[in-house]
Amino acid sequence: MNTDAIVTVHDLTKHYDGVAAIEAVSFSIHKGEVVGFVGLNGAGKSTTINLMLGFLRATRGTVTLFGRTVLPETAHTTHRRIGFTSGDMSLFTNLTGSQYLRFVAGRFGMRDNTRLGELSAMFDPQLNKKIGDLSRGNKQKIALIAAFMASPELVILDEPSSGLDPLMQQTFVNLIRQESQKGTTIFMSSHYLNEVLDVCSRILLIQNGQLIKDIPSDALLTGGGKAVRLVSRYEIQPPSDAQEVTRLEHPQGFEVSFVYRASAAKLQQWLGGIPQLIDLSITDHTVEEAFDDLYALETKGQKHA
Amino acid sequence: MRNLFLKTLYDKRAFIVGWGLGLGFLGYLMTIFYPAFHQDSSLDQLIRSLPPALQGLVGNLNDLNTLPTYLGSQLFNIRIPIFISVLSILLSVGLTVGEESAGLMRTLVGLPLSRTRILMSKWWAIVTICLIATMLTAVGIECGLLAIHETLDIMVLLRLSGMMWLLAVALATIIFGIGLATGRRGLTTGLGVLIAVGSFLLTTFSVSVDWLASYEKLSILHYFPAADIAQGVFDPLDLIVYGALVIVFLVGGWLFFCRRDIR
Repeated sequence: MNTDAIVTVHDLTKHYDGVAAIEAVSFSIHKGEVVGFVGLNGAGKSTTINLMLGFLRATRGTVTLFGRTVLPETAHTTHRRIGFTSGDMSLFTNLTGSQYLRFVAGRFGMRDNTRLGELSAMFDPQLNKKIGDLSRGNKQKIALIAAFMASPELVILDEPSSGLDPLMQQTFVNLIRQESQKGTTIFMSSHYLNEVLDVCSRILLIQNGQLIKDIPSDALLTGGGKAVRLVSRYEIQPPSDAQEVTRLEHPQGFEVSFVYRASAAKLQQWLGGIPQLIDLSITDHTVEEAFDDLYALETKGQKHA
Repeated sequence: MRNLFLKTLYDKRAFIVGWGLGLGFLGYLMTIFYPAFHQDSSLDQLIRSLPPALQGLVGNLNDLNTLPTYLGSQLFNIRIPIFISVLSILLSVGLTVGEESAGLMRTLVGLPLSRTRILMSKWWAIVTICLIATMLTAVGIECGLLAIHETLDIMVLLRLSGMMWLLAVALATIIFGIGLATGRRGLTTGLGVLIAVGSFLLTTFSVSVDWLASYEKLSILHYFPAADIAQGVFDPLDLIVYGALVIVFLVGGWLFFCRRDIR
């Protein structure tokens, strides 16, 4: 266990009626890190976040925030230092946006409304309308402002930008960058991969309730490479640097596909040596595909194990 | 609106106005009906012709002779418990499992607010709403008295209203405690209805059904003998029972609510 960490999750497990929602999840987050938490629906992202905030009681394992163990009965003692929102967060529909924000400000003991003003200028929410009359995107703007307005040391976000239009998503990304520069620690789950890669320095990948990867986001960004597919009359041996190689028979000969992450010059040189090339396509291997590969590899690995 | 208690009252403003005015109007109507009940002997004959099993539903005929006993019997013994039961169920279910199933409890628990403070703020809001409803009922009765040119000893009205308030708080706290302890809407509403309707049926029918009489003490309405209170009979045990119910269900709700999962 790392004692310098702001967040330490150790062997965290939650069972519902004997079924594991998450199993033995462990990670830690240090001050100033922006960590993305990625996984498919039902992978266990929200359960992990709910345990981190003390909404749920762990079946096994611990969550430590700012050196304090989080339990449902005492979780509020750390909440003054935490901003939180989720994409499906419910707000009090009878209140207007400004009434709700005043209520939240009161809970954080806020005296200075400068940050609230800055965030309102950034997101331009409809504060004078009843929350119940607002669109999902406008509600989400208010929830985001509430999460950041007390300048918390740690912000936990669960699918934070769902419901925002593309312009507001960009505003949100800018806000995360701004907060990151100020040294705020951010932990966010998201379905928007590009958004996570845009702002996060580290990515945790969760699948079927288990943490399967903890990698720097650079590893994915630079690891995109090129997706190469070619057809030749003769069987071809792919280059030694090729990854994720697939060989198929083709009506006109043989087809081979692979991901190539080495230098373009080497690939060009290898292509020059292909006899009787019938078809060739070279496209960017997108980050999404890289993620899919990662998932596929892990799933395959789990099956083999 | 910097605290949860005031926010809860603000959220429930339509409920407070609606129920307050409704109960006030009920108090006014029942009071202005007194001359008709008191003077019309044909009504007496009609009630006397009812089968014994149904007479519990209309109250003791001798209680119609004086204004305090009429109000105790016809308003506080029969009608008020029905309305208070509905008010308590709606209010407590709404503030506990209603908010939880709408995701609002999660929003509150995510703020720097202890679960104990959430529970107490909501409970004080319930106590206050019940008090407002009771006070407006009393105001309605006073308006009715003015309309029929009658007077009522203020101590009688205070005792009846005070016990009405305690009944409302006790019933609402029972449902509140169950709601916070379990977080289950169906269970909370079902038990709330069972306690309220069961108590009403037990108390009203035990007058005529002999074997029910031995179980009548299980009814929450047993401890609100409005007709007796109207005649100046007051048993402190009734206060103790309501107080004990409030403490048991509030503490029980707190113990479970502080430790359980919030969905």
